[in-house]
Amino acid sequence: MRIEKCYFCSGPVYPGHGVMFVRNDCKTFRFCKSKCHRNFKKKRNPRKTRWTKAFRKASGKELTVDNSLEFEKRRNIPVKYNRELWDKTVEAMKKVEEIKRKRQARFIMNRLKKGKQLEKEEAINEVKKNIHLIKAPHAGKAKQMEDKMVQKLQEDVDMGDEDI
Amino acid sequence: MAKSKQKGNHKSDKKKHIAKTWKTKRRTKDLDQIHSDMKPETAAKLLHQDVDYDVTGCAQHYCLHCARYFVDMRSLKEHFKSKVHKRRLKQLREEPYTQAEAERAAGMGSYIPPKKVEVKTQPIEEDMD
Repeated sequence: MRIEKCYFCSGPVYPGHGVMFVRNDCKTFRFCKSKCHRNFKKKRNPRKTRWTKAFRKASGKELTVDNSLEFEKRRNIPVKYNRELWDKTVEAMKKVEEIKRKRQARFIMNRLKKGKQLEKEEAINEVKKNIHLIKAPHAGKAKQMEDKMVQKLQEDVDMGDEDI
Repeated sequence: MAKSKQKGNHKSDKKKHIAKTWKTKRRTKDLDQIHSDMKPETAAKLLHQDVDYDVTGCAQHYCLHCARYFVDMRSLKEHFKSKVHKRRLKQLREEPYTQAEAERAAGMGSYIPPKKVEVKTQPIEEDMD
């Protein structure tokens, strides 16, 4: 007995739950709930349906390539029961799960950082564009006038020098 | 997913019984079945079928990608130009979705993004008259 994965949303399908559809070419499809089954019947593409795992992975919302994802796998090899091995495996599973969770969370946080950066850039751009709304219309004008006067006087003096 | 531009469902007779079209009895071919149909040997078999009087157009004018029979060459050609056909070709340009991909998305191994597949409308064969 094993916990299968739903064809549509990739959620777990526990024994005695969900629906299995057998197509007329003998291919089987398992669904965790009627929602998934219904969407399959409507021929929706799981990659394009936003709430499925396939969509989230295909569009880079979640961690896709990592060593921590390589532990859980379909292994079609029976293992003879051994108490020690069993204990160790359970311990390892807990540890792997913890590491996986941390890495996935970190991936999402890193992905969200990009948005914050863009937001900041946008804000700076907006201020630059509409600076005339914040700045007083004659701010710094007095200083400019003074500079101009000084320049003119200097020029006059120079001209006077030349005359003599 | 983009919002569909479908509207006017209330008066259209075609869409009155949508649930009926989803019954297993009326099930049409899935995209992965069409992908396997597109293999040269099966494609050749499907495009050159024996005369069958029960099928539309005696099974002589078949669109491989839409899995549809047409009455004659003219309507088949007309269909190749249509939006339905072009949309179907676009859908087929991606590798079909499989249970293996669903499992990889669920965290059983790393996720491998789907590959692109080149799909073109079947060549039109001019029949000898």
